[in-house]
Amino acid sequence: MSEIFVNMGEISSAKDHGILTTVGLGSCVGVTLYDDRAKVGVMGHIFLPRSRPNDQGAPPGKYADTGIPAMIAEAIRLGASKIRLQAKLAGGANLFPNLNMKSLSIGQQNVEAVKELLSKHGIPIVGQDVAGNHGRKMRFFVENGLVSVTAIGREPVEI
Amino acid sequence: MNEVRLDFLKELANIGTGHATTALSQMLGGRLFQLVVPDAQMLPFREAADYMGGLEHTVVGIFVVISGDVAGHMACVYPLNSAYALIRLLTGEETPEIDELGRSALQELGNIMVTSFLNALSKMTDLLLAPSVPGLAVDMAGAVWESILAGAEVAGEVTVIRTRFSAEGEAIEGHIIFLPNEEDFGKIARRCGLEGL
Repeated sequence: MSEIFVNMGEISSAKDHGILTTVGLGSCVGVTLYDDRAKVGVMGHIFLPRSRPNDQGAPPGKYADTGIPAMIAEAIRLGASKIRLQAKLAGGANLFPNLNMKSLSIGQQNVEAVKELLSKHGIPIVGQDVAGNHGRKMRFFVENGLVSVTAIGREPVEI
Repeated sequence: MNEVRLDFLKELANIGTGHATTALSQMLGGRLFQLVVPDAQMLPFREAADYMGGLEHTVVGIFVVISGDVAGHMACVYPLNSAYALIRLLTGEETPEIDELGRSALQELGNIMVTSFLNALSKMTDLLLAPSVPGLAVDMAGAVWESILAGAEVAGEVTVIRTRFSAEGEAIEGHIIFLPNEEDFGKIARRCGLEGL
C-alpha cells in the first residue's frame, strides 16, 4: 500500500486506498477529512492559525484559514460530497510549556482555528488527540478512514 | 536572501558559537573543542524539519526567547547520542535515558550556550540581547523543529548553523538557530557597518 508523507504546510489526498502520514507533529495540527462513501481522504499539516500578508507565496496548507478551504476543495475534486465530510485532528501540543510565550500556546491557537473553520463549514469532528506537551505521528488509512496516532513512550491511540 | 546576508549570518554564528564553545569548555574543565568552523545553511521552510536526518528521530531541543534591544528567538537542537555524551561530560554519569538530572544538565548547558552566544553579539553591537529561561523538549525531531519554527513565527526561510565539537574523543554535533526579528536583524547589521540587510 502506498504511503504519502505530508510535510509541514502541505495537503495530500488519496482515493480508495493508501496511507497519508504526517510525522513529527508538535505545535502543528494534522487534520484529516474523509468521505466514507466516496472513500476520499485528504490530510493537511497546518503550521499557524492565520495567513499573513508578508508570506504571499505560502502554500495554502500552511495556515488554517487558507488550509481548511483548500482541503475541502481537494476532497470535492476527488469526488467527495461536502455534507458527508468528517474530520479528525491530532497535534497542537506545547513542547516548551515553561516558556509561556503567549497566554494561549501556538498549538492551542492552531487547534482553535481549525475547529472554528471546520464548524463554519459544517464539518463534524469525529476524533481527536490534541494538546499536551508531546510530539505525535499521525497515520490515516484511506480505505476505512481510521487514524492512528503514536508518540514516543506512549501507547498508540486510534481516533 | 542574498549572499551578503548569509555571509553576515555565518560570521555572527562563527563569533557566537566560538564564545559558546569557550564557555562550555570552561564548564567542562577545558575538555571541549570546536572541531570545525560552524557551517551555516539557508533552508526553505519546508526542508528545515527534514534537516536533522529523520523526522522521527528523538532529539533534544532547547528554545529561548530573546528580548532587549533585539527581540527574537534562539534554539539549539542535539541528536540524542550527542545529548547523552554531553550529560556524561557534565554529570560524570551514564544514564540509560534522559532523566531529571539529565534534563537539568542539558537545560544548564543550553543556558550557557545561548547566553554566551548572545553576549558575544551584545559586545560586538552594543545592543542588549537577553535570553529567557530556556525551554527544553526531548521528542521527535519533526515535532521539536516545527514547534521552534512556529514559536518564532518563521515564515519563509531559516538559517541553521551546524556545529561539531569533540570532547575526550567523543564527537558531539548540534544545530543552532538564531532568529532575530526582521527589523532587529537590520539593527544588528547596521551596528556592524552593513546597510540594507
